[in-house]
Amino acid sequence: MSAKLLMKQVTKTYGDGDTTVSVLNNLNLIVNEGEFVAVLGPSGTGKSTFLSAAGALLTPTSGEIFIDGESLTDKSKSELTELRLEKIGFMFQSAQLLPYLKVEEQLLFVAKQGKMSSKEAKERAADLMKRLDIWKRRNHYPEQLSGGEKQRVAIARAWMNKPAILFADEPTASLDFKRGREVVQMIADEVKNEGKAAVMVTHDERMLEWCDRVLHLEDGHLVEHELSKI
Amino acid sequence: MFLALREMRHSKARYLLIMVIMLLVSFLVLFVTGLARGLAYANISAIENMPANYYVVQKDADQTFRRSQLTDTELDSVRAVVGDNNASSLALQMSTVTTNDADTKADVTFFAVDMNGLLAPKVIEGDKITNDTQGSVIVDRDLEQSGIKIGSTIQDQATGKEFKVTGYVENSSYSHTPVVYINNKDWQEMRQGVNQGSEATSGAPFNVIALNANAGQVDKISASTKNVEVITQKEAISNIPGYSSEQGSLLMMIAFLFVIAGFVLAVFFYVITIQKTSQFGILKAMGTKMSYLAWSVVGQVMILAIASLSISLLLTFGMNQVLPDTMPFQLEPSTILLTSGLFVGMSLLGSLISVAKVAKVDALEAIGRAGA
Repeated sequence: MSAKLLMKQVTKTYGDGDTTVSVLNNLNLIVNEGEFVAVLGPSGTGKSTFLSAAGALLTPTSGEIFIDGESLTDKSKSELTELRLEKIGFMFQSAQLLPYLKVEEQLLFVAKQGKMSSKEAKERAADLMKRLDIWKRRNHYPEQLSGGEKQRVAIARAWMNKPAILFADEPTASLDFKRGREVVQMIADEVKNEGKAAVMVTHDERMLEWCDRVLHLEDGHLVEHELSKI
Repeated sequence: MFLALREMRHSKARYLLIMVIMLLVSFLVLFVTGLARGLAYANISAIENMPANYYVVQKDADQTFRRSQLTDTELDSVRAVVGDNNASSLALQMSTVTTNDADTKADVTFFAVDMNGLLAPKVIEGDKITNDTQGSVIVDRDLEQSGIKIGSTIQDQATGKEFKVTGYVENSSYSHTPVVYINNKDWQEMRQGVNQGSEATSGAPFNVIALNANAGQVDKISASTKNVEVITQKEAISNIPGYSSEQGSLLMMIAFLFVIAGFVLAVFFYVITIQKTSQFGILKAMGTKMSYLAWSVVGQVMILAIASLSISLLLTFGMNQVLPDTMPFQLEPSTILLTSGLFVGMSLLGSLISVAKVAKVDALEAIGRAGA
């Protein structure tokens, strides 16, 4: 199995001089193909910083990050933008769909950015929408969708360009327990369907049923807990 | 353009509103420009339509036609350089004429010219006059509104001399008054009527010499002829009494309208852009290139500017149809192009602030944010 995400001795410090704070401290992580990893931790433990660094949005102070075998070190801003487009799928809190695009257009827009042919894009969008049960909603605006539907569109959008890895930032934060579990299950299903990997950051310990591994962010490290303990 | 168009489709009211504002501003720009051009044309069309590119005036006349006085000596000297056909004397006299037929008075400017020379009036209706006819004039068509028709007799109020109108010319105004063309023979008689007792030997003095010359010939004339100054047609026009101040105030209005258009658009788009900061963060996080986002913003501005400009052009033409003839209005294609170009340019300039704002949005803002 090849590593979709590899983080080696990643450190991120904020501030300078005497008042530096290390949010990530020599963090190591390997996420392999077909794996769905959850990263847990209470607010303020650096979950956002971890996700930003892994997602090529933030350059770490030291350490190396590889996505799908490609090193992020020494890449320019526009190269990182391109890498995010091709290799990474993002899911944000409360879906963050573009309010003026219909469901199908949300997916087609991403495909267009990724230079997918329009025929292929249409087929893939239809396929994803059917699998995620939003096919009937394809001509609706986000404002007409429920919270769960929005997150399902967000899942479809994240997988649209066939990224190597999906990063989900608290995808269940704005959903009730039942809808939240459905969304997590769907992410897990898609990881298996697409043969890719996913990392989900969350503070909700009830959402871990379908995760292959659960890691806790403590003092800037990731600590593995046995699933049975939770 | 994918995003730009769909966003406009989704928020129709919002973009319609800004389009209406831009429509009104661009309409005002075009309309005031048309009026300014119309006013200018009504003021100086006689000089603008003359086939002369230079004018010879007396040196201490401050480039103003009416202050200048030249004689045949200068004319001969100028003709020696450019040839007889490319130089023609022009005498002008502002006056009031009365006509018995219509019992009206009209302010006019007499232009005394060589009827065979450079400045011979182009008659569009009626008969031409020659250098030998006596008591005949050709008048600008605007005088038709004062009841002066072909065949009417007009009387110069200052000298009491009577003239018969034999033909019309078009677009011939000087200092907002219609031009009455007379030949040099009648001019001489008219002057003698005024200057009783002065010598009536060599021809009466005239004001300026109109030239059709090139730059080299102009230099030669300046060197060979004493006490004269050669000015361009542009200089001559801007020294017609009232022209510069009139155009100056209108130009200032137009300039302000452009600035206002730019500002309104800039502020509007800036506010929209600030509202969408988090969206831009998300788009950047998903890997959308900055160049794409910039074009999206600029594209929206272009669409709005061009659409509102097209509608206001139609409105302007419509307005022109219903304007009364006494209200001078003129828009040449070149003026329309220039004005439209400037308007779109100002709009683009206004959109740049928004583009700069979008450039500053950090993709990091997408992570760890709860609300949209």
